[in-house]
Amino acid sequence: MEDKKLTEKESLEVITSMIAQTKQRYIANGNILLMWGYLIVGMTALIWTLLVLTHNPSWNWLWFLIWIIGGTATPIMAKKEQRKRGVKNYSDTLSSRIWSTVGFSAIAATAICLAMLLVKGIDAWSSMFALALIIVPFVEIAQGIIIKERSLVAGGSIGLLAGLFTMACIAGHVALYATWFMPIFIVAFIAMMIVPGHILNSKARKAK
Amino acid sequence: MKELNPLLHSQLRLAIMSILMNVEEADFVYLKEKTESTAGNLSVQIDKLSSAGYINVEKGMTGNRPRTVCSINQEGIKAFEEYVDVLKSYLNL
Repeated sequence: MEDKKLTEKESLEVITSMIAQTKQRYIANGNILLMWGYLIVGMTALIWTLLVLTHNPSWNWLWFLIWIIGGTATPIMAKKEQRKRGVKNYSDTLSSRIWSTVGFSAIAATAICLAMLLVKGIDAWSSMFALALIIVPFVEIAQGIIIKERSLVAGGSIGLLAGLFTMACIAGHVALYATWFMPIFIVAFIAMMIVPGHILNSKARKAK
Repeated sequence: MKELNPLLHSQLRLAIMSILMNVEEADFVYLKEKTESTAGNLSVQIDKLSSAGYINVEKGMTGNRPRTVCSINQEGIKAFEEYVDVLKSYLNL
């Protein structure tokens, strides 16, 4: 392309051709999803094993490591990915903002649970499972719709079902024992993050 | 009939503006790839659009490499929309 004068018809062709170029579907890689997926599944499996073996609830403090590691790694990975692509469009901003909302909700929920424990001695931590299995799947389904990726919608739906079940258990005062609940939590995150993450990476590799 | 904005009535500048109208921001490498232009020519046209106040250009570094990021501003959006309106009248659309 050069700095040449155009006829009106050529102008129209340049505009439509460039719009088409920007509309080419970009297949995002699933690295951030995989990082969160393996981090959550790995940490849940570790806490589950420690709880079952030792019956010491102090191991639950390890949950905080998920937020610390994931929260630190995500912006670094996102920035790197953004630079690699060279372009930022409106759906990127939308996705980034809705995931940020999930992060802020998690921080707020953690603060509320911590305050309830410290002030009133009430253990409300099980609500964090409902949060993880309702808000995260909901946002993942939205993301899947935005980028037209069925694996995200399917994985998010499985997670959401697990979340609704968790919410029903909490409302019905069914104790979420590590022995049976942790495997459900692990399966939900494999379906929500690890499977779609690998599918996205495979599609991104093929698209190159 | 109103005249087409001469600053936009050039193949490469119009291509840059058309891309920037559809994304929030794009870097130099992306614009070069999509417009299939040479680095020198692209750089000159970006400077012209920036001097006209149509686009914002941010120059930074990624590691050891320079990175130029462009985005269209309100003035640029207005100019582009006016250009398209005039173009439509020329083509009787």
